[in-house]
Order: sequence, then structure tokens, then C-alpha cells
Amino acid sequence: MADRYSFSLTTFSPSGKLVQIEYALNAVNQGVTALGIKATNGIVLATEKKSSSPLIDPPSLSKISLITPDIGMVYAGMGPDYRVLVDKARKVSHTGYKRVYNEYPPTRILVQDVARVVQEATQSGGVRPYGVSLLVAGWDEGVEPEVESDDKEKPSGKTGGILKGGPSLYQVDPSGSYYPWKATAIGKHATSAKTFLEKRYTEGLELEDAIHIALLTLKETIEGEMNGDTIEIGIVGPPADHLLGYEGVEDSQGPRFRKLTKEQIEDYLTNL
Amino acid sequence: MGSPFDINGGACVAMVGKDCVAIACDLRLGMQALTVSNNFPKIFNYAPSTYLGLTGLATDVNTVSDLFRYKVNMYRLREERNIAPQTLANLVSSSLYEKRFGPFFISPVIAGINQTTGKPFICGFDSIGCIDLAKDFIVSGTASEQLFGTCEGLWEPDLSPEDLFETISQALLAAVDRDALSGWGAQVYIIEKDKVTQRLLKGRQD
Amino acid sequence: MRGPTIIKAEDDKTRQLNKHTLMAFSGEAGDTGELLMIRNSTLPMLTNGFPLVQFAEYVQANVSLYTMRNDTELSPAAVSSFVRGELARSLRSRSPYTVNLLLGGVDPVTQEPSLYWIDYLASLAPVPYAAHGYAQYYCLSLLDKHHNPNISLEEGMKLLERCTDELKRRLPIDYKGVLVKVITKDGVKVMDFDNDRVVRSA
Repeated sequence: MADRYSFSLTTFSPSGKLVQIEYALNAVNQGVTALGIKATNGIVLATEKKSSSPLIDPPSLSKISLITPDIGMVYAGMGPDYRVLVDKARKVSHTGYKRVYNEYPPTRILVQDVARVVQEATQSGGVRPYGVSLLVAGWDEGVEPEVESDDKEKPSGKTGGILKGGPSLYQVDPSGSYYPWKATAIGKHATSAKTFLEKRYTEGLELEDAIHIALLTLKETIEGEMNGDTIEIGIVGPPADHLLGYEGVEDSQGPRFRKLTKEQIEDYLTNL
Repeated sequence: MGSPFDINGGACVAMVGKDCVAIACDLRLGMQALTVSNNFPKIFNYAPSTYLGLTGLATDVNTVSDLFRYKVNMYRLREERNIAPQTLANLVSSSLYEKRFGPFFISPVIAGINQTTGKPFICGFDSIGCIDLAKDFIVSGTASEQLFGTCEGLWEPDLSPEDLFETISQALLAAVDRDALSGWGAQVYIIEKDKVTQRLLKGRQD
Repeated sequence: MRGPTIIKAEDDKTRQLNKHTLMAFSGEAGDTGELLMIRNSTLPMLTNGFPLVQFAEYVQANVSLYTMRNDTELSPAAVSSFVRGELARSLRSRSPYTVNLLLGGVDPVTQEPSLYWIDYLASLAPVPYAAHGYAQYYCLSLLDKHHNPNISLEEGMKLLERCTDELKRRLPIDYKGVLVKVITKDGVKVMDFDNDRVVRSA
């Protein structure tokens, strides 16, 4: 019977479901696990880079993408759909924001723009929903003035959002809904990874600890070997001025989002 | 008929002081030499410390002030924050350039304080959105030549809010008295970090 | 009037937009009539000129439509904003309307009278008194001198007479008199006005 309501996306089933969206979620739940953890001073995104053949050239495969200098994204589900969304996210961050305001969109705005693209695919004719869930990690400068703090231990009083500024981590689903998380996972082993994260996550976590926890979580779920070629990590951290390609220009800031190199990942793995 | 910028007349000026900015405009609306109204303000408020002055063709002053009221309201609802003067400047620039081949006949001026940095900000534009950043003052309108003179003569760095009010008022009044298309009273805003003072100047009514 | 020829001597160039709002319109200065309005607790006004009804009727229809749909009268401020918007849109179209407008009304809620001056470029200004066409040059100075914010209807009519006298005296053409309408909280009514009074020439 369910088949009778699956030919058109704009058709509700009598129970109130849009089954095509549920099928898209099934595709996500078969995808390779990806996870994200928010720290006080940054965010880590991590996933496994699974290759079907030993002949594949691993460095040419990339699952974590930069969208704006301060925002990055990872997915679980269908790779080609993800690539389309990365293109659209990069495009809308310029047409819908940078070309208008001459600054990059705050994380929530970018997430809403991407979520709109995803939602439109659930209500338009002749299309299918995107078969991916996304984790979007970004840093906002914030508009509230910085408060002077005597607490030198805490690296930043920023906890995320447009007003306060700081790190935010969002999940976007095929339905177009989005959720803000402290830490979460999507894909095949999302449930067990989330249980693991619940145990390991603590408030006031710093980026280095978060990377450590991310690798431990990945280790629980990974199917193949764990090394710099099979793991992909993206972080939102302090401005990486060395990535600017120039220096000595006042008021210019390097990207906060960057991917860890194979060597950097292997360093973390040896210290695990 | 002359340039569309000179049909209705009007003048606007913005100045930077120490931890404060000021923006002022005249109140005249005319048709060539004939004065139609002496109560036509040309400064519009878009956030607690962000102001936009518009001189030029009166119909475009109306249209553009309404357009930015819409755009800034949508921005505030979407982002749940007030627009910063710098952000408004870039929005004005891109919106005006959108009409590159059929422009609005206006010369906008922005004055405000950035609530994040606490720093004063002023800038001006040409009618197609080229931003003119300045550390001292920005002038616009049919009295802009006179304003350049009075501002060059009266402005100095780090003026207090009180002194800035005196300076911008004298600069504007002296300038519009030497322009037949501007004057008939003036409006002055002194913008400090957590306080804005609006004053009406009577000026010469002839 | 078109050029030097009078086509019609009596032509009502006003449209009532809703119960409390009246709009007077004329084409560009020079080839049509003059408009004059004085804002007060009551609003005497006079018009004369050549028809430019398309735009006026479009506005009238839309304001009525709003009243029918929402069972609410738009305030004069709202009507003026709507009219200006439509005129501004027309200004940058292939064939813009060249119409000057005066819009007077009494707010149905606050009972405040207001007057708006709108020219063919869609410049909008709230004013205490206004005129379009040559009437501006002959009457604004009189109004500047004799109008005060609390002027009564009676005084207003007197002032209007001063204005028409001046028009008769100075205008090089016979403008065939004026039509006077008053807007109060009770609506719009036509006033008796002696157009045949002979004034001494200057």
C-alpha cells in the first residue's frame, strides 16, 4: 500500500507521512558515519573515508568541505547529492549574503539557506529529496561587545550564535529541518556513536579534547583501518593566518575552518 | 530643467567626534526656486545608533528611505540583531548598484556607532553606490560645495559631543545660507554609544 | 483647457477616495488648472482644470476595494503612501502619469486633519497648505502670511477668497472660477462659493 503514495513527493500518505523523505533518511542511515563536537573554542567534524578498492587514490577523495572561511560541512548519505548541496551552499553564501553585505553569512543564516534548498526538494514537482544529512560547523564573530574577564583559564566566553558569537554546530536533514547540537553523529552508526558521545562529552570542552573524543568515537564505529588516509577531520579553530597566502595586511584574518592534513591526523592518532 | 539632483534642493552632512558622530540635514523641499515645504527631514533611523541621510530628488528620497526600511526590517527579523552601520553601508552600496543603468538620483550619507567595536563610522555614496569612506566628515546635497568649505574650516579631531553639535550646526547653517535651494531649518542628531540627541534648528526662514 | 482653448468651463477635478479622504488632481503646470488646499480642522479647497482621470480612478477603485475587503477605512496617511507608491512606480515605467495631486483627509480614528502634497515625480510632503500649478506662485505667499495652525473654517474660506482674488487679478487667463469642497469628520461637502465676484485690478 505504501507504494501507492510514493510516486509523488507532494502527496501525503493517509497516516500523514511523506514516505519519500523517510526513504531519503534510510539512505542517510546507510551512509558512512560522520560526527561533530562543539568545544568552547572551536568545533571538530570527523568522518571515515571509505574506499571500495585499494586502487583508489585517497587524497583525491574529500568528504569535508569549506563553505565560507569560517564555516565547514560534512555529510552522511549520498555523495553526489552532497556535492550539489556544497555547490549551492557556497553559491548562496555569496549571492544571498556576501554580495549584498560584503561579509560572510553567520552560521545560522547559512544553515537556514541550505535547509531551504533541501526543503524545496520535498515540495516541488519532478524532483526527489536530497539523500543526505549534513553537519554544519561554523564560527560567528558576534555583535555583542567582548566582556573583560579575569578568568584567564577560559579561552572564550562565546558559546555560539549571531549575538554572542562563537562556535555553532547544526544538523540538516532531508526534510529540511535543522537542529543545533553540542555533539552529534549521523549515518550508519549514529545511534551508538551518540551514546558514546553522551558518555564522553563534558561542558567546557576544549578543541584539542574534542578532536581526541572525535577520534575515540570514530574508532568505536570504524570498519577499516584507522590512519591519515582513512580518516578525515575538519576543524573550526583560531584564525589560520598562515593559510591566507600573504601577510602584513591589516584587518585581514585567516580562515577559521580548515581540514587537518594526513600528517596532523596521524600525530593525533599516535597520541590516542 | 537642470540635473535631477538639483530640482528639490537639500543638504546633509555627517561628522566624526571623539566616541561620537553627528549627522544633520536641512528641512527644505522645493521645486526649483519655489519652496513647497519647510518640514521635509532627510535623515532616517535604521537601528538604535545607525542613521541614513538622503539628499537629491525628493521622490527618490521617499522611495529609497522606504526601500531600506523594508530591507533593514527584514534583516532584523532574519538575523535577530540590529544592522551595524558598516553592514548598512554595504547594503546601500549593493542596492544602489543594482540600479546602475537607471539610478536613484540621491547622494546618501551614513553616520553611526558600531555597537560591537564602539567605534564611530561615517561614509557617503554616489548615486550608483560607490562608497566614500572618511575619517572626518561627509557632505552631500545642493549645498555640498559650501559644506566642504565650512567643514574644512570648522572641523577638528576628537570633538566632544557638545562641541561636535556646535561644529556641525554652524557648518550646516553657514553652508545652507549660501545655497538658495537649501535651508529653512535643520535637524541635527548627535549619536553617542548609548545615547542619541535630536535637535531642531530654526535657521533663517527666507 | 488645452493650449489657448477652453473646452469645458465646469469640471470637477476631485475624487473622493473614501468617506474622509478627498484627492484633487491636475496635469502638469501650464496646460491645466490650479489646485489649492488649506489644512485645518476643516479643509476648504478649490480646483479647476482639465481631466486627468485615469490615475485618479485607478486609485479610487483600489482604495474602495480595500474598504470593501477589510470593512475599514484607510487613514489619509495610508492612502497618501499608497498613492505615492503607485505614482512612483508609474514614474519609471514606459508611459508615466504626469499628474499632480493634493490629498486631504481626516483620520477616522484620531480625527486629525491632514494634507499631503504630491507632485508628478511622486514626491510626497505633509503640509499645512498647498497648491499646484501657477496657483503656487500666486497663493503660497498669501498662505504663508495668513495661515495659522488653528485657523477656523470661516477664516479658511476668507483666506481662500484672498487667494482666488489674487488669481483673478494676476492670472493672464480666465480660469473659470473654482470648485470648493470641505472635508470634515462627517465627510466631504461642496461649499457655496461666489465665483462671479469682481475684484479690483492691481
